[in-house]
Amino acid sequence: MGRRTGAAKVMCVLGALAMAVLFAASLFVGKYPLSLRELAAGNELQLRVFWTLRASRTCVGAVGGFALGAAGFVYQTVFRNPLASPDIIGVSSGASAGAAAGILFFSGAAAVTASSFTGALLAVVIVLALSALDKSGSKNTIVLAGIAVHSLAQTVLMCLKLTADPERQLASIEYWIMGSLNGISGYSTGGNLLLCALCLAVLFPLHRQIILLSGEEGEARMLGVSVGKLRLFVLLTATLTVSAVISLTGLISFIGLLAPHGARLLTKDNRQATMLLSGLAGGSLLMAADILARSAASTELPVSIFTSLLGAPFLILLIRRQTKKH
Amino acid sequence: MDFFTVEDLTAGYGKKEIIDHLSFSVDSGCLAGVLGANGSGKTTLLKAICGILPHTGSCILEGTTLEKLNPRQLSQRCSYIPQRSGISIDISVLDVVLMGFNPWLGLLERPTASMEQKGRKALALAGLEGKEQQNYQTLSEGQKQLCIFARALCCEGHLLLLDEPESALDFRFRYQMLERLRRWLSEDARAAIVTLHDPSLALNYCHRLLLLSEGKILGTLSPGTDSLPRMEELLEQIYGQISLARLPARSGREHLVMLREEA
Repeated sequence: MGRRTGAAKVMCVLGALAMAVLFAASLFVGKYPLSLRELAAGNELQLRVFWTLRASRTCVGAVGGFALGAAGFVYQTVFRNPLASPDIIGVSSGASAGAAAGILFFSGAAAVTASSFTGALLAVVIVLALSALDKSGSKNTIVLAGIAVHSLAQTVLMCLKLTADPERQLASIEYWIMGSLNGISGYSTGGNLLLCALCLAVLFPLHRQIILLSGEEGEARMLGVSVGKLRLFVLLTATLTVSAVISLTGLISFIGLLAPHGARLLTKDNRQATMLLSGLAGGSLLMAADILARSAASTELPVSIFTSLLGAPFLILLIRRQTKKH
Repeated sequence: MDFFTVEDLTAGYGKKEIIDHLSFSVDSGCLAGVLGANGSGKTTLLKAICGILPHTGSCILEGTTLEKLNPRQLSQRCSYIPQRSGISIDISVLDVVLMGFNPWLGLLERPTASMEQKGRKALALAGLEGKEQQNYQTLSEGQKQLCIFARALCCEGHLLLLDEPESALDFRFRYQMLERLRRWLSEDARAAIVTLHDPSLALNYCHRLLLLSEGKILGTLSPGTDSLPRMEELLEQIYGQISLARLPARSGREHLVMLREEA
């Protein structure tokens, strides 16, 4: 398939190496620094920190970032919109409202995760039910239904914030919305990561179909694609992936938008390697941002600050490189 | 039995009917042209035949009613080239052509090496040899039309529907595309329906012409056998005062030329 495919493969290898380096760094960097020697020597405190905090947090950073990047590629391709993200069908807003309800009415991180996941799923189900009313199955209907559900979820969130205790609950809601990998433990992550991995295992082999969905509906249909059913399935799977991540981490901005753009600017196409590179870029970005979030200041900072701070200049650099070439 | 038959076809957008109870048939090997003024229903007719637009009536290809088929079965029998392809992402020319094999592939299957070879051949046939790895978005509009034409050839359907496939092509490629289309039709039991804006092209390359006006068939022509006065009479209902003449090319082949008469 030529020189360009070879270059894309090299970039994927480099992306995987970057992820591996950041994965290792994420395991050992933090308020309580770990050392390989102490871990090998069986230092009990270090082992406990490693297994209960760092390992799960790093896994969520790697898998979550990868999932957000790959799902972003899917959304942008299917909607033929470079600004498409999970927000376009109201997932993030549903997850936020669900998390706020969890913080107000239940206790414990696992309950908030479950509540947020339920909120995200509920948003998707309402969007899909609304769009099913339009028999033509147009993707514009899905976007419009997403905007309606997004507004509805924002209203619910505002109402919940109004009833929240300003000292504790309101701060928790705001902190959740800002996104963080802090407080993630092994007990609450397993199911979500498994769901993420399963959804990604479904999405990657469907890459060729996802590309077919990027054309006009009639054109795709005449290429043998059952457009309505396939689009519904692909979007539902991508949304499940995102829901599984953000219900653990809170809202993480920019990765779903930036990672696919960065990958496309590097490979100049939309092949499966580009989708993989979107995931690798997403995973690297989230892990790098998380390392900075926990080590840049005396208190833990929201991870979205760093995903934007790291991502935006990188994207500008790539765009400048592209415009120079033209 | 006719190769392809359209029976009582009515279609439109929303409640507005654009084509109204059309019936016609096309024989195997036939290149059928559809001529008509803007808004006469040419594109609507093609979209209705391939099921993109909801319609009443039926379309029967080699004894199979197309309305009863799912998208995959339909695309194995019938290919469609829209006026403009909706591909808006960065993708190589070869990958666009390989999309044509999708009807013959499972959901998770990838195009095989032999399909890739066929795709390269189709590109060469369409005049795009050497552009396999080029980004589709960087092609000219005419080259994009040729690329989509190559993709339609890969679909291997028996009925090809082409919506103004020549609109962005220069003089040379217009004639080349129709010559290649006629050659492709002669290779197997196939037929094609093509909407055209250029009557001269239609008169010289189509075996049969359907003249559409306000969603109805004004009449049909067989340019090879019909008399000039009869053809003039029908074409004047669409294009106003015209005259037809048969002119020999240097090769000796006679060409039909349509001239507009001053009112």
